[in-house]
Amino acid sequence: MSYFNNIVQAISTLIDGMKVTMGYFVRPREYVTLQYPDEVWPVPSRNIGVGELDSYNTIRSKLTVDINDCIGCKACERACPVDCITIDAFRGGPDEDLGTTSNGTKIKLLVTDFTIDMSECMYCDLCVPPCPEDCIVMTPDYQFISNDNLKTDVTPEQRWRDRSLLIYQFSKVSEEERQRRKAEAKAAAAEKAAIMAAKKIAAEKAVAEAAEVNAEPAASASSSGEATETTSLASDSDPQVPSTAPEASNPETKVSYAIPLETIESSAPAEGDSDTPIAEPTESQNSTEDIEEKESENG
Amino acid sequence: MIQSLANWILSFDILAGMGNPVAWGLSLFVVSALIFVFVALNAIVLVYIERKVSAFMQVRLGPMRVGKFGSLQTVADALKLLQKEDIIPQMADKILFVIGPWVILVASVVTFAAIPFSDTLLAANMNIGLFYVVSISSIVVLGIVMAGWASNNKWSLYGAMRSAAQIISYEIPVGITLIAVVAVVGSLNLQTIVIAQGGTGNLFHWIPIPLPNWFVFHDPFLFLAAFIYLTGATAEINRTPFDIPESESELVAGFMTEFSGLRWALFFLSEYANATLVAFLVSIIFLGGWQSPFSTYGGAQVGFSILTLLAIMWTVFVKIKAKRLSIFPVGLSLVITLCAWLFPGFALWLASPGLFWMLLKVASIIFLLMWFRWTFPRLRVDQLMYVSWKVILPISLINLMGVAVWMWLTGEIQF
Repeated sequence: MSYFNNIVQAISTLIDGMKVTMGYFVRPREYVTLQYPDEVWPVPSRNIGVGELDSYNTIRSKLTVDINDCIGCKACERACPVDCITIDAFRGGPDEDLGTTSNGTKIKLLVTDFTIDMSECMYCDLCVPPCPEDCIVMTPDYQFISNDNLKTDVTPEQRWRDRSLLIYQFSKVSEEERQRRKAEAKAAAAEKAAIMAAKKIAAEKAVAEAAEVNAEPAASASSSGEATETTSLASDSDPQVPSTAPEASNPETKVSYAIPLETIESSAPAEGDSDTPIAEPTESQNSTEDIEEKESENG
Repeated sequence: MIQSLANWILSFDILAGMGNPVAWGLSLFVVSALIFVFVALNAIVLVYIERKVSAFMQVRLGPMRVGKFGSLQTVADALKLLQKEDIIPQMADKILFVIGPWVILVASVVTFAAIPFSDTLLAANMNIGLFYVVSISSIVVLGIVMAGWASNNKWSLYGAMRSAAQIISYEIPVGITLIAVVAVVGSLNLQTIVIAQGGTGNLFHWIPIPLPNWFVFHDPFLFLAAFIYLTGATAEINRTPFDIPESESELVAGFMTEFSGLRWALFFLSEYANATLVAFLVSIIFLGGWQSPFSTYGGAQVGFSILTLLAIMWTVFVKIKAKRLSIFPVGLSLVITLCAWLFPGFALWLASPGLFWMLLKVASIIFLLMWFRWTFPRLRVDQLMYVSWKVILPISLINLMGVAVWMWLTGEIQF
């Protein structure tokens, strides 16, 4: 009897199932399918959190900056744990008006390059709170790929390795302007470095002259001791500083002013047959000639 | 059809010189090409419809992006399959691997030679048509075993063995069911079987409900036989819920695991050709083939009026509920009905083409198969054998005897 019961039950359940599927087939359409590129799920713009986490729980999908409000303070660059933010900012000229931010702050630095590498960003949101102008924000835009900057001349493998589509650059100025500013800043920095170097040398010279007065015995001791060879510490390629020694053109002497005196022996190669350093540096041409004379005597 | 085509070619004065054998060969080629094109286009259309039907039954959309409503999706798929690399596994039996899919495809396509598409559209009017179709379609299992064995893959071999066991098991109830029909008609000729279903009769001969004289309504045993045949044929063509030879959750893809590209497309082609063949056989044997159902109800005018009423009802109950009112189906059927009443000749012309009714019935049966496929869960191997040997076979045997007794009672045959 269970044999027939089985058959009847099988048929009735099959008919039940067919009713269900046919019901869905003719039912007014309530599709669950979303035609993705044409339509997307609505994304809450901010504040999906509740309570005290409200302001923290933003949707963090893409980091963007409102470059017009950026004052170039680099607070976000310092805050970033993975260094995905790179900022180039230059001081404007004295008569240059860089405008104000939307908060009313006067902009003093011209931000020529604000680069966000989304392939390195870890969406930690640490760069957002430090910003004094609230211009760097996490946005809910999760669609990074667009046809705008799609390179058609690269192979899929190259595109797979190529992160350039994930690097977002913001700038207030054009590329030429940016390069010009960079060059200007470089020249200014070089000039500044030169001035600093000259100042340093002048200071050292003053120190050395002061020391020469006290260290006359030491200089004579060095000249009367074993013959040694040293390079002139005062030499520099800077034309502002007159070279006092024939060895001044030696490039290795360029950096010697910044190095503590005790380490000169290792940085300066010994040209003679003796490695013994002199106790005190000599600045005058006479002392150098003295050393040379001693050397020739020894030789 | 081949002979008439050859006669038509020879009827032209210019072509008459080519001689009978040449004309006959030419017509043979044309007819074979027509059948193959029909099978290929049919597969492309059916794959799209199947994907859409399954999507609608699962509250999805289905293919939407290629062409309007994804209508060119299967064309794109076919182009992709044709371009794919031709892979033959290193340890495979190369000869069997190559010819396996072709055996299956040829066995599926060749059966269409005996199918009457309409009263004149018939490639070969053979007097053993039904026997020919059943026996040729059994060669499919040979190709499946070839493909499964040649792949040198455990899943392929399992799939092929299951397929062989399944097809052989279900051949028997299917054959017995067909014998019941043959007993009623007294002929194996498919065209004769269709012609025998013309005219109007009562339901089950005695119940006074006028119905077309189709074999489903001939007697209760043949009514049951139609469903038994549909079940057994579904199993024979390895369609869900009897798709254990290619059950993807157990056997990856069964006997077609190792196949790709064109060869895999051939499997798909033959699968849908087989489904269409089953739909054709059900239509021919039980649903009156190319016979129009409206010959029963006082002509085509009444039939079209009923269609219009149905369309209006469908619009009212379904479309208004969906708040997307479309007057197109109602308008079209109203116009057709009006024309049918005004011009009786037009109605006759519209209702007469056998090809239309044939394809309509075939489409309904194919939709039924798709409905099965996306509703029923797959049977286990032992359940499959249980259903075949312990349920369907006894019922079909009883059916055969019942048909004989019925015919003796109604006086259709005398001893």
